[in-house]
Amino acid sequence: MLPFFADLITRTDEARREFETNPVVLDAVAHGMPIARYRSLLLELYHLVWHFNPVCAAAASRVPDKLRQVRYFLYEHMHEESGHEQWVTNDLDAVGVSQATLLAHQPSLNTLALVGYNHWAADRRDPCSALGMMYTLEVIASVYGGTFAEAIRSSLLLEGDRGVSFISSHATMDAEHMAELRQVLNTVDDEAAREAIVESTLVNFHHITRVFEAV
Amino acid sequence: MNDAIDAGLRLMLHRPYKYLRLEWNSELAMLRVRTCVKPVQCYSLAGLSEMQRVLDDIADHPRLVRHLVLSSDVTGVFNFGGDLALFVLLARARDIDSLRMYGHRCIDMVWWLEHAAVRGVHTTVLVQGDTLGGGLESVLPFHKVIFERSAQAGFPEVLFNLFPGMGAWPLTIRKAGFAVANEMILSGRLFTAEQLMRRGLVDAVVEDGEGEHAIESVVRMIEPRLRGTLAALHARRVAAPITYESLQEVVDMWAEAALTLTTRDLRLMERLARAQARKVGGGDEGAVEELKRIELDTAWGELRDSNGALAEERGTGVTAWGALGS
Repeated sequence: MLPFFADLITRTDEARREFETNPVVLDAVAHGMPIARYRSLLLELYHLVWHFNPVCAAAASRVPDKLRQVRYFLYEHMHEESGHEQWVTNDLDAVGVSQATLLAHQPSLNTLALVGYNHWAADRRDPCSALGMMYTLEVIASVYGGTFAEAIRSSLLLEGDRGVSFISSHATMDAEHMAELRQVLNTVDDEAAREAIVESTLVNFHHITRVFEAV
Repeated sequence: MNDAIDAGLRLMLHRPYKYLRLEWNSELAMLRVRTCVKPVQCYSLAGLSEMQRVLDDIADHPRLVRHLVLSSDVTGVFNFGGDLALFVLLARARDIDSLRMYGHRCIDMVWWLEHAAVRGVHTTVLVQGDTLGGGLESVLPFHKVIFERSAQAGFPEVLFNLFPGMGAWPLTIRKAGFAVANEMILSGRLFTAEQLMRRGLVDAVVEDGEGEHAIESVVRMIEPRLRGTLAALHARRVAAPITYESLQEVVDMWAEAALTLTTRDLRLMERLARAQARKVGGGDEGAVEELKRIELDTAWGELRDSNGALAEERGTGVTAWGALGS
């Protein structure tokens, strides 16, 4: 029998490929983005990052004792991700978006739907859903983040990590996280929790693709 | 046609494939399978599953299909091989189980094609565009390999410190010998259709646009002597066998090698994936991409070894990867 991580990859591979092969994403990874669209993307991304830890916290508080390793994993991850919204703020500043504009920004319906789903799933579906959200974000960051950051840097003539610090650093960091996430996912033996993780992964890939499409 | 065969045909042709287009020629009992894994034509997990479904359907209905013909519906690309983004993901997750699972799915397809003659099926493949790595590996087990003249192929895996692990070694050695297998797999360079035919890996090179006609000619030529041809091909396999165990062993070695890839190797793999996407997008290229191409070309290199009659050949170099990026 395949370990759960392999099963997760197989069952969600089409959703990953749908993200990867979306024309907007393909173009962004190959050629970068005009500055206006990159600003919009960062503004949407800010809300995803800002809600990441509250979703994980909600999930951690509900994880049953028999899955305590998941709870500890969420604690550690929250600690590592803490304050990362500031990196997005810095990148926004580097591409000319003020703090005031950020605070006044109303997230798109796609972002609201995604954040809303993640909160609901952690609260009502199954706390392990948060691992599906995490898997999706780490796949996007570690597999596509590096080339996307490079394309943005080239197309907008940015220097070093200025303006792309969030995406660029997560591309490297999440490469290490992927191996840890695989290990913890393989310990989840509860069928309902596994189904919830698969569902959450599919929903997260779907909505993030829509977020990219709409910016 | 009896009822069971008729039902089998209907089942096969009416499955809701996303990445394949099937056509049936009742006169020749020929199943045409056209692949279309858009926008990047590669062996994705879903694409592999659909292909295996077709092969299983053929196996489940003996004597239904006499000729299986594979080609691509994507202009300029036969197949880019493995799903590079998936490899990057699995390598980063250090997930040897999934790497092995992917490899085993690939060799299951190779293994089916290896036994096609025993199943009473003659196989032909038409390559009308680039085919790399796993794409080329998937071509080699076919009984008849036809390339259109502008098609190019190679095993670029060594560029990112990997090797083709789904049958490239035994299939190339069997068709062309050790020297050619060494040259192709260890150099990582691209070869033209003509160069591949000279090495014995391709059976026929036809002008661009004449591939469809060539398929018709091959199938009509074989049809009257199909039983004898299949018996001979079966005997050829017995004379030069490839075992499933050896394919499995190499896949396992490939999976282990994938876990040793460094960040630099994975980045290079990502760049190749990006080049594939550009080929599909048809967008402009900037100076950065040009620099990368040159860097890549340095790694790719010219044909280093002098090898008798093949010594005058030059590597496809920048031209080859330029084609990917344009």
